[in-house]
Amino acid sequence: MKKILVVEDDKFLRELISQKLAKEGYDVAEAVDGEKGIESVRSENPDLVLLDLILPGIDGFEVLAKMKADPKLAEVPVIILSNLGQKDDIEKGLEMGANDYLIKAHFTPGEIIEKIEAVLK
Amino acid sequence: MMFFRKKKTKLANSNSNIAITNYLTDGLLVFNSENKLTLLNPRAEMLFEVLEGRVLGKSILELARFERLSPLVSLLGGEIKPMEKTELQIKENLILEITSTPIARDGERINTLIVTHDITREKLSDKMKTEFVTLAAHQLRTPTSGIKWSLGGVLDGSYGELNESQKEILTKAYKTNDKVIELVRDLLDVAQIEEGKYLRNLVLTSIEDVIKTVLESRKQEIMNKKLNVEFQREDVQKIMLDIEKMEIVFKNILDNAIRYTSIGGKIIITLNRKEKEREVEIHIKDNGIGIPEYEQDRVFTKFFRGSNVMRIDTEGTGLGLYISRNIIEAHGGRVWFESKEKQGTTVHVTIPIKERFGEFLTGKFY
Repeated sequence: MKKILVVEDDKFLRELISQKLAKEGYDVAEAVDGEKGIESVRSENPDLVLLDLILPGIDGFEVLAKMKADPKLAEVPVIILSNLGQKDDIEKGLEMGANDYLIKAHFTPGEIIEKIEAVLK
Repeated sequence: MMFFRKKKTKLANSNSNIAITNYLTDGLLVFNSENKLTLLNPRAEMLFEVLEGRVLGKSILELARFERLSPLVSLLGGEIKPMEKTELQIKENLILEITSTPIARDGERINTLIVTHDITREKLSDKMKTEFVTLAAHQLRTPTSGIKWSLGGVLDGSYGELNESQKEILTKAYKTNDKVIELVRDLLDVAQIEEGKYLRNLVLTSIEDVIKTVLESRKQEIMNKKLNVEFQREDVQKIMLDIEKMEIVFKNILDNAIRYTSIGGKIIITLNRKEKEREVEIHIKDNGIGIPEYEQDRVFTKFFRGSNVMRIDTEGTGLGLYISRNIIEAHGGRVWFESKEKQGTTVHVTIPIKERFGEFLTGKFY
């Protein structure tokens, strides 16, 4: 069973996406901010991280930077799932090594699963 | 006798004029034909923190030595350029609107009148309003995503099978929420325009490619309505554009053409190069429902929606063309249209050919 770590500070969004993932047969771990996110990447050994960008404390970009700087975590695929839809943010996220960048308001949970499957293949 | 009476009247006039300028709530400066300061009212003394006695009789260039006056001197120049309601920041909490009017008699300039109106408070409240809109719109994004995700999940069967009427009503709710998402995005664009930081990434781009990308992104809608879309183009050199923003412009204009043209209608897009004017011209012509004549002067204003459009189509936020005009003008271009009800609309866009970033600095650049 593949494990997905969901880093998302909004409770409702976190629940919705986690439920969908569980239903699709994934093992789900959750983190509510950037600090916990980076901790969980180390402790939970996820196969993929679904990463929000605007987070309390250290933000998603920083979490991504920390992962990419750590050889043990650098290979874990990351999909950014954010409200931010500016070209600058998208380019920055992808340049920093995210495998995909999804704008929350443009995708349904079903479509997000499809993107996750595509990266895990 | 006549002579004296005339002189007396003039003197009385000028005394009462001085009394008036003393009570004027705008700062007033008057320069004579040699560009020397002949009048400075008390309000101007206050705004510029100078005393009348220290500055009267000095030429405009000499006034540059006074700290508060020096931004004004740089704006007006030694010859005192005429201008209308030009914004000028004097210092951190002082923004003035400057109007400079030459007064001529028998074709010769005898005086120049400088009116300085304090707009600091208006600017501040504008800024607060924009910040509020930005904040509110940002705050709306997470809940609208939550609604989209939950309805999306229910509709794709994640929470059990739905019957047809449940599916139908929830699909409507889903689409309505998508409209809110679109509105929030438009509000953020408007707030950005009003904060004056609209063009971000200027790169040398083929405008033809921008239009092709937009057409590609609307393929489905065009097919659904069986529209006949033609793109006629001349070879046009690459120009400096903010690609993301220009795509918004053509998406908005094309979406209107698609939406408001009936099934089987025709849309013609032409791209021409105007060598002499150093600009490119784009026309988007449809044979749709058109814009009622009495509403045509409001088309580019915020939240405008045609009354004939409201009846047939509830989509659209009324912000698209307002945003588009601002983007085009930020590029130094122009946009206008011709329209006849029940016959169609042609939107014209011009963009100046600028090949280097530097060329923007002399134009209108946000």
